[in-house]
Amino acid sequence: MQVLPFQHHSLPLKGFWVLKSPRQGISLLVNKRALVVNLCLMLALGLAGTLSLAAGSVPLSATEVWLALLGKGDPLHELVVRELRLVRVLAGIGTGAAFAVAGCLMQTLARNRLATPGIIGIDNAATAFAVASVVGVGSALAPPAMSIVGAILATTLIFALAGGSGTQGYRFIVVGLGVGAIAGAVTQLVLSWVAIDTANAAFPWTIGSLNARSPDTLLLLAAGLTLGGIWAATLVRGLQALRVSESLPITLGFNSKRLRTQSLIVAVGLTGVAVAVAGPVGMVALLGPEIARLLCRHRGIPLLSSALAGALIMVLADLLGRLLLAPLEIPVGIITAVVGSPYLLWMLLNPNFRNQP
Amino acid sequence: MWKKLLTQRPNGVARPYPLMVWMLLGAALLALVMLSSLLIGAGDISPAAAWQALLGQGHEEANFVIRELRAPRTLLGLITGAALGCAGALMQTLARNPLAEPGLLGVSAGSAFAVTVALLLGASSTTLSVYVAQAGALAGCLIVLSAARLNGVGNDPIRLVLAGATLSSLLLALTSLLLMFDQRTADEIRFWITGSVAGRDLATLKELLPSLALAAVLTLLIIRPLAALALGETMATNLGHKPGRIRFVAVIVVALLVGAATAMAGPIIFVGLVVPFIARTLVGADIRRYLWLCLVIGPIILISADTFSRIIVAPAELPLGVLTAMIGAPVLLAVVRANRLPRL
Repeated sequence: MQVLPFQHHSLPLKGFWVLKSPRQGISLLVNKRALVVNLCLMLALGLAGTLSLAAGSVPLSATEVWLALLGKGDPLHELVVRELRLVRVLAGIGTGAAFAVAGCLMQTLARNRLATPGIIGIDNAATAFAVASVVGVGSALAPPAMSIVGAILATTLIFALAGGSGTQGYRFIVVGLGVGAIAGAVTQLVLSWVAIDTANAAFPWTIGSLNARSPDTLLLLAAGLTLGGIWAATLVRGLQALRVSESLPITLGFNSKRLRTQSLIVAVGLTGVAVAVAGPVGMVALLGPEIARLLCRHRGIPLLSSALAGALIMVLADLLGRLLLAPLEIPVGIITAVVGSPYLLWMLLNPNFRNQP
Repeated sequence: MWKKLLTQRPNGVARPYPLMVWMLLGAALLALVMLSSLLIGAGDISPAAAWQALLGQGHEEANFVIRELRAPRTLLGLITGAALGCAGALMQTLARNPLAEPGLLGVSAGSAFAVTVALLLGASSTTLSVYVAQAGALAGCLIVLSAARLNGVGNDPIRLVLAGATLSSLLLALTSLLLMFDQRTADEIRFWITGSVAGRDLATLKELLPSLALAAVLTLLIIRPLAALALGETMATNLGHKPGRIRFVAVIVVALLVGAATAMAGPIIFVGLVVPFIARTLVGADIRRYLWLCLVIGPIILISADTFSRIIVAPAELPLGVLTAMIGAPVLLAVVRANRLPRL
């Protein structure tokens, strides 16, 4: 048997820039397309955010918005932008990014594009627990904690119930559908159990809305998103191997079990935090990663692009909901459902549909 | 053990499932459930006082509550339950899918959407909603069943359910979007949209009687061909039936039944899934047999769910859909978890 000597030559990598440090110790691959896509998405997000800050009962121009943001504008404008609208836009960006990253992780983990947290019922369970905590406990920190607990419980239940059948087929998802239906019923049950005032306080959670979020929960969201984002970024290499085949991560020396558990924890945690802030806006977790994959031409796991796309969808949907029937406000969950469901239907009815991301 | 005793002769040969036994048992249970629905409620009337009112000796208040509030409610529950149970059985045979359920697949949601649009366009809720609801149910039915005939979707029963659930959630989101346009309409149908048999006008029922009778006649006409169709398209053709025509009539019947049920009680999901599931377990998968049992089990489930909805959160009331979801979702899980999904 002939042993070939190890040849060191650089692969011709199309579409990548190779950045090398002078001493050959570290080199970095930069995906040109992903870079461009991310920059464009950031630009679009900035535009959408500015628009969202400008629109409302006191219409402002873009320059007025930016002046107010920098603290150099009219005091009234500063109040409107910084105290009232900024929280809302930031909540939209944060929850959109959290939903989309969670969706992207879940899809990769289950090797199934349909297995986003919203579709398999995790959102509903988190909502049920958040509503129960609003009704039961008065503290502002209770809903996020409880919604994460709900998300974890639902995930455990779904995986336990779908146990033998694997996560790739439709069976896994219909199990999630059933769990979601039970959770939805529990939410209704809790809401009808309490006095009407308490029920009204908990109502935003049941449809998904960005209205009147407190800055406290926003801080929690930011913390969760930072932690989850960094953790997810460390998992990407292993997940990229998982995307190719179930056994490749093991061959490449990743601890497959730990990789899966960690990704699941991040996805569930992010979903829980996002639901605690905005309620079950499920479709973002499907649409964000889909758009990101489309733009990046299915290369790797576009976590950052997913986050940006999710945030963009959320901010745009919220803006649309505010403008469409002004002064009335359509909850953002309804807008994303109306936009996202036809796409999901098309996915399901398309004969050439490929399950794997 | 008990099932074996009932279904096998001592020498081990299978004997026909005892449909009559189950029918009698079901009828007795139904009578019991209806009686408890009349006797139990959130108000101050004790069951004993209600019993006296039933016998015609109660005082005025009890008489009013029983005659005007609880009796119509029980009657509506009876008819809605029977209609939904039968519609579920027919739809499952039609789609050859044990998970096909009018509520889950978007037929009820189509009906609710149509009613909302009609109310928004200025129709009055008392006169128009019945036929509109049936037309909406027909549209939803046609969409979902044509999706079932698409390549790839029909072969995978679970994929069809997912598509139907998506259609359903899309229609519900559109309905709530439309409701935001018009406060008057929203107030008018807010309670209806969650599904309930409380406080309905019996006039709706009178208006629905012709279409319910039509549905019953059509069902009797197509039930034999449907049983043949369950054996496969070729077999049905060889037996002298026309599959296309049978399907068309069955779709009309499902739309009539679901539209009528939705007009009476609002969109109620999962009843059409649970009822045929239980009926099939008891008397086997021949639609000529288990459809009869659906007629009894449907009202039992609906009326007992309605009775529970009154006492769980008394003095308030729970939407009926919440209870049916609590009963139905575990059944859905049980069906999906079966190793091999039965093809009907």
